[in-house]
Amino acid sequence: MIEVAHLTRRYGALTAVDDLSFEVSRGEVVGFLGPNGAGKTTSIRILTGYLAATRAERLVVAGHDVQRDSMGVRRSIGYLPESVPLYPELRVEEMMRFHGRLHRMDRHELRGRISEVLDRVGVGDRRKQLVGTLSRGLKQRVGLAVALLPDPEVLVLDEPTSGLDPIQRGEVRELIRSLADDRTVLLSSHILGEVESMARRVIILHEGRKVADGPPAELATTLGGGGHVAVEVMGAASAEDMASLIGSLPGVESVSTGDRVGIHQSFEVRGEGDLREDIGALAMTQSWALRELSWQRPTLEQLFTRLVTGVGVDELASAPSPGAEPAPGAAPGGGEALASPAQPTLAAGLELSAPKGPAESLPLGTPGDAAQKTIYSLNPFDRGASRDLSKPVSVDAPAPESAEDDGAGQGDRGDDS
Amino acid sequence: MSGVFVVARRELSGLFMAPFTWIVLLVVLFINGLLFASILYDTQYNVTVSLNGAMTGASFWLWMIFLPALLSMRLVAEESRSGTLEYLLTAPVSDAAVVVGKFLAATGFLAVIWSSSLVYAVSLDLAGGPPDWPAVLGTWFGTILVSGLFVSIGMLAATSTSTPLLAAFLSMVASLMWMAIPFLAARLMDYLVPLLTSSAEEQAALVERMAGVVASMDALRHFSRSFQMGILDSAEVIFFLTWTGFFLFLTARSIEARRWRG
Repeated sequence: MIEVAHLTRRYGALTAVDDLSFEVSRGEVVGFLGPNGAGKTTSIRILTGYLAATRAERLVVAGHDVQRDSMGVRRSIGYLPESVPLYPELRVEEMMRFHGRLHRMDRHELRGRISEVLDRVGVGDRRKQLVGTLSRGLKQRVGLAVALLPDPEVLVLDEPTSGLDPIQRGEVRELIRSLADDRTVLLSSHILGEVESMARRVIILHEGRKVADGPPAELATTLGGGGHVAVEVMGAASAEDMASLIGSLPGVESVSTGDRVGIHQSFEVRGEGDLREDIGALAMTQSWALRELSWQRPTLEQLFTRLVTGVGVDELASAPSPGAEPAPGAAPGGGEALASPAQPTLAAGLELSAPKGPAESLPLGTPGDAAQKTIYSLNPFDRGASRDLSKPVSVDAPAPESAEDDGAGQGDRGDDS
Repeated sequence: MSGVFVVARRELSGLFMAPFTWIVLLVVLFINGLLFASILYDTQYNVTVSLNGAMTGASFWLWMIFLPALLSMRLVAEESRSGTLEYLLTAPVSDAAVVVGKFLAATGFLAVIWSSSLVYAVSLDLAGGPPDWPAVLGTWFGTILVSGLFVSIGMLAATSTSTPLLAAFLSMVASLMWMAIPFLAARLMDYLVPLLTSSAEEQAALVERMAGVVASMDALRHFSRSFQMGILDSAEVIFFLTWTGFFLFLTARSIEARRWRG
């Protein structure tokens, strides 16, 4: 239904959509997901013929080439822009009639169709109301009704739930889900929950590029490494003993000890499948008082943040990555630089937009490429002493020359005299 | 083609459903009526002079600077801002149909305003002062053509920006420039001709040539030369229609350029 190959769109020097390719087959519901400015609206506007593509190998919507047969595309899609453009001075019915006339619908057919569509979106009783006096939620429904009027094969909805209150959002979501039964839907949102609840497939965009594509659940599993079991128990044994006991269960891969809240100790257990029953049984045999035993799936929210900002979730961050080894002389904690999410740990086929190479924050005073800078002390007791800025200042007492700190090689952190 | 009329109909009904239109209508008709009445008194009930004054006097040309600009601001720039232009440009109608539809609506609205002069003429006729009907009808027809020309200029200026206020300002400036062409050209000629020519005869010939070219662009002159006298000269009609068509064409291109600019 929708085929996009190597679509690029530039606004001057800014590349809004960068070599985007994807396909949507008939009857599929696909959600564009990305932060503001990721290129969702631009892509949608190009597909609907509002904007021209800077370059595109293939742009086909509902069997029509967007670049050559824009009119054919416009006739066979229903498009609801984010701003829900409706003429405020028209009545709901008039707005619908105008849209029908633009689509060259027959007058009699139009009359029946208007009632049908308005009833379907649940605004059948507002036919005579002025569009300008409708609430945001109702306007959104009327916008949907307008898009649905010519019974389009493809429905394109740009941020269909933005600006609505939670109840209206739920209603619109429900409505879109019901519409999706018999047509192809492409929608966009920057809210994950929305996309997750409406679309069966998610395309994550970031800075105009596709960074992930797949069903939400699958994305969560492949990117987040499955779920984990959250356990919170009270027992006589120490946290370490409890952790090792849990770890001895078959199928458990790792147990991380969490916080201790009062008398309760929490653990995160990862392993094959759902381990709740086994852990529950263990708790019973050990007479631990269970406070929580739940299955936690990584939310798309976390994955999204990770994909977009390049900051890994715990296990990725703590994974050893080249160039991030803390130097021996560094202060505790200070050298534990943030590891960049290592590319190979991710499922194949999913590219990451994470910055390449070591992204760790180097300790202050690490020698860089910059030319040597010298700073002169303003301390009157230093007698005009000067210090090379490219060398770190030692916090500890001046160490003897024999300090064995040159082995690391990484950060040449020999103390200056 | 059907798209043009669907758009024009919507725009016109949209115009008449907005308070903006009624306020403009009220003010323009009130001032024009006042003007007509005062000329009528001043000229001791000279029907022809009063009608001419009300329909084609300085006030008409002054309105021609403001009204098309305000209408194009509303029809193009405001829609661009509110997003309804995006709706129209993704609906199954061509850009040209959108442009022509909007143009017809704006010109139609101005035609309604200028019809007030027909009301004056009819009431004078009923009161026993028969006007020169061919001149009245010709002038009315001419005012519609002039309105069309200035609406097309205004629309072209308005498509270049989506800030309504700036669009209105640009439209006004463009209309003013179009009216000021003869004046500006004359000043330019005074300056340029002595530089370009050596002898007095040459100078005179060049001035004459250029004056002819400038005069052919002079909307006011074209208007007063025929319509105002009750003559429907095809050359004059074509003059207005051609320029209007040219500006509408540019407007459609300018809208298409938005698809590239974004």
